[in-house]
Amino acid sequence: MDDLNQNPKLGAADRPNSYIGRSVPRERAKKLLEGKGKYVDDILLPRMAHLSYVRSPFAHAKIKSINIENAKKYPGVLNVFTIDDIEKVCTPWQGVLGHLGEMRSPTQYPLAKDIVRWQGEPVAVVVANKRAVAEDASELVEIDYEDLDAQLDMETAMDKSTKVIHDDLENNLFWTRTVNQGNVSEAFKQSHIVEEVTLDFARHTGVTLETRAIVADWDSSEEKMTVYHNGQAPHMMQSIIAKHLNLSEGLVRIISCDVGGSFGIKVHVYPDEMVTVAVSKLLKRPVKFVADRLESYSTDIHSRCHKILGKIGVDDKGKILAFEIDDLSGIGPFSVYPRTSAIETNQVLNLSAASYVVPNYKAKGTVVFQNKTPMCQYRAVGHPIAVAITEALVDKAANALDMDRYEFRKINLIPDNSYPTKTPSGVPLEDLSHEACIEKLKKMMNISELEKYKKESLANGKYKGFSIINMVEVTNPSPAFYGVGGAPISSQDGASIRLEGSGAVHISTSITEQGQGTEAVMQQIAADQLGVKIDTVRVTHGDTDATPYGGGTWASRGAGIGGEAVLKASRKLKENILNIAAVIMQSEVNNLDVQNDQVIRKDGGEVISLKDLAQIVYYRGHELPPGTNAELIATASFSIEGIPFVFTNSAMGCLVDVDVDTGLTKIEKFWAVEDCGTQINPKLVEEQIRGGVVQGIGGALYEECIYDEMGNLTNGNMADYLVPMAYEMPDIIVDHVTTNSGRSILGAKGAGEAGTGGAPGAIMNAINDALIPLNTQVTSQPITPEKVLKALGKI
Amino acid sequence: MKSPAFSYYQAKDLADAINVKKTDDDAVILAGGQSLLPTLNMRLSNPSVLIDIGNISELKEIKVDDSNLIMGAMCSHSQIMNNKEVNEKLPILNKILSQVAHPAVRNKGTHGGSIAYGDPAAELPAFAVLVNAEIILSGSDGERIVSAKEFYKGLFETAINSDEILTSVKYPINRNGMKLFFDEVTRRHGDYAMAGLVGSIKQNNKINEEINLVFFGTGDRPNEAPKTCEYLLKNEYNYSDIKNTLKNDIDFASDISSSSDMKAHLSAILVGRMMKELN
Repeated sequence: MDDLNQNPKLGAADRPNSYIGRSVPRERAKKLLEGKGKYVDDILLPRMAHLSYVRSPFAHAKIKSINIENAKKYPGVLNVFTIDDIEKVCTPWQGVLGHLGEMRSPTQYPLAKDIVRWQGEPVAVVVANKRAVAEDASELVEIDYEDLDAQLDMETAMDKSTKVIHDDLENNLFWTRTVNQGNVSEAFKQSHIVEEVTLDFARHTGVTLETRAIVADWDSSEEKMTVYHNGQAPHMMQSIIAKHLNLSEGLVRIISCDVGGSFGIKVHVYPDEMVTVAVSKLLKRPVKFVADRLESYSTDIHSRCHKILGKIGVDDKGKILAFEIDDLSGIGPFSVYPRTSAIETNQVLNLSAASYVVPNYKAKGTVVFQNKTPMCQYRAVGHPIAVAITEALVDKAANALDMDRYEFRKINLIPDNSYPTKTPSGVPLEDLSHEACIEKLKKMMNISELEKYKKESLANGKYKGFSIINMVEVTNPSPAFYGVGGAPISSQDGASIRLEGSGAVHISTSITEQGQGTEAVMQQIAADQLGVKIDTVRVTHGDTDATPYGGGTWASRGAGIGGEAVLKASRKLKENILNIAAVIMQSEVNNLDVQNDQVIRKDGGEVISLKDLAQIVYYRGHELPPGTNAELIATASFSIEGIPFVFTNSAMGCLVDVDVDTGLTKIEKFWAVEDCGTQINPKLVEEQIRGGVVQGIGGALYEECIYDEMGNLTNGNMADYLVPMAYEMPDIIVDHVTTNSGRSILGAKGAGEAGTGGAPGAIMNAINDALIPLNTQVTSQPITPEKVLKALGKI
Repeated sequence: MKSPAFSYYQAKDLADAINVKKTDDDAVILAGGQSLLPTLNMRLSNPSVLIDIGNISELKEIKVDDSNLIMGAMCSHSQIMNNKEVNEKLPILNKILSQVAHPAVRNKGTHGGSIAYGDPAAELPAFAVLVNAEIILSGSDGERIVSAKEFYKGLFETAINSDEILTSVKYPINRNGMKLFFDEVTRRHGDYAMAGLVGSIKQNNKINEEINLVFFGTGDRPNEAPKTCEYLLKNEYNYSDIKNTLKNDIDFASDISSSSDMKAHLSAILVGRMMKELN
């Protein structure tokens, strides 16, 4: 029973069909494992042509001329387009929003116009009968470039001598924000100790198993655009494609088939995808573009790329008095449309120190342009930076006071009984459980044993270290995230649920599936709330023609928002079913319930199966009294109101071994205690945490987009860009604390960001714990062996 | 990432393959394809024809006699790892091959392919140089043997002539008391090494009589280190001295995985591990 949810709003956990809280196996997993998934690249349409993009080899250059004639003549080529053609059917865009202060990002065209601004920017597109032919002909497109100075280093972006990337801006600044709560400078003066650190985070990217892919199919007879797209937010794409191709929005249909991982990479507007849609319109035929792995590295959004200075002031008892950060981030040459590239820095400002009581807080964020791949939101947006800087400073302060790191945290964490409250930056918090989580974590980790192990290892010349960190996680965003700023991104999600003539239940949801188990979660909620067996329930998602309107899957919102919509719709449908059954069974509604696909009498006796009930309604309606409300379909929507986000919290720890000869770090064990409120499927929650931790390990130890001094991405392939792999992964032990969200009946919060957000800080602190006897520290991620050896003075 | 157009030719036998190869300078031998196919898809090479030698059964044989182990060029890494005689006579090969990429690559990747490709970061070329294996090449003028020490000429450059095919590699075994060492430093299991070492020591009455070191992942080809070997015959291992001596032996070249400093450091650490393990 331990893993079963105890949310009183959901009813007893041991009643029949109580699927919420159980690790029900998901049937979709079998489909994918048997190779029966259907991805965009599996879409084959009659007359479909294939696209290959000619991309800029320069980080910054003027386009003097483009000669497409030879490419056009290549056998099999249907056409070659440049911006001159594409802009006739697709308007440019600007990655700015209105709610976060002034953002200055220039107009971005779907193909480069006059100037290229990052290596990989699409300049021309070749359309051919086969992708290989399109690639052959791409080599025949002759482009004469005049090299311009590339602005690569974010730290010199604002220098007077630095090349300004956009002529219409006076400098390379995109966005800046400051937060000032209390009086930080005064508080630092009064502090017993003040500790400082500067951390670097390299650019990395999402590396989805399935690369970005799109098939666009323009039907000029109906003026209808059907787009198969492996994105996360179909309705957002519908709106954007309609707007920029000047189409009737209702006649744009987005279909997201199976999606092989997204991680935030697939929730943005990409020039090559917009061009693909434009080409379909120009040629009046279906066209396909599938990014190859090389293109993915240089055109999928990158993330992180921060340098952050942090400072903490603490009194002699270890109470935090002040916290200050100054964050600099480089986002490439454009703010990404439509979510903008300000959000990661905004999150860093909102989330730093957010687990702790900090009376004085000051934060500054500066976001600048550079001639590198555009950067935008990727899993755990801003969290890894905020958590790492906060927890690095907390460890430093505890160590400086010679206080136990756990005790230091205990006296500074926001107490579990103090909600609702606010983060030091002023963002509302509710229903969190830092104290309960860290308590559980401490027991799981067996800290006294770890201390012993560390000492014994040190005596044998082995350097082991461990960490404990706390964090909050932004999930279930309200309209305050994007909609208020003017982006066509729904914060509401809808679900429609119907009982069919066979007795089967069919849900359609605006939440999408990228492999994380959305379908399973929705099935569990519906089956649980309706009282049917889980294999009775089918799910449709990812089709703007077939699902209710909604935001899709990102920012850990699927279960908490989309799940609540399914819950509400299920309850409505159940009410309808019981009302109809009351008529048929001549019983009081209150005496009826649905269990195991049957309407039962609570006092026993005659039952009617949902199938029989549905067949009376659908086939023999004349048996019902005239005027009976016999609707076996119900729809509901849900959106978070009253707060900007539903925060969750976690405590994590890890144990590392640092080989001081080679600089290699081995993570021996990783622990996480998270509180995502109601867990609909604990196994899926745990896999979200584990998968997230693995991506966090990637950021902490391996992943980095390495550019040379000319602005060329030098490691854009799977051999040189290191992703975490199974062999190196530690056991990741996960446990839970459950504090239901008061914002919904379901009480579920998100769980997708925590691991990725927390692991980098946990790993860095553990390595630095191991390095204490050697009087050094590492401050730059990924923490490569070379950086460790440099910190040790060995190279 | 689709390869440019090329022709494909499945050779019936060795003579057939050589025949095609000698008439076309742009023909390339397809062995396991684990390096060649990615370079094709990345459009880094543009061969006219791929000559598939996968159906030539004599190239898949492993022969053992009292003093040699002869590996056919088309033996896959997995085949070698699972061969009982290889594991008895030259057990270090199994240890080395377990660090070559991952099982899927080892199932397709071939011994001859790895030796002939001569990736400076690969394990097998360095091992071949260490034991000075005989590399057997067949061409239109018949067979010739090149010693591994003479085989590697530069970055991805070997002694193979354009009309020749590497058919087998002959390793000496049972070399009275020669002890072998292999280790490498990678960030992830199966990656190309930041630095790797294969080494050997021959002792007489616990006195080192002969030491050989060959590094990989350090330069443009397998790197021998004669001065360091000489130093180690006369002196105890000392990290700083070894690192300095290695720098005299090898022009450590930075790559995407690590700087030249890092490679020199790791090489010195590996020598320390070897001296500890074999002494």
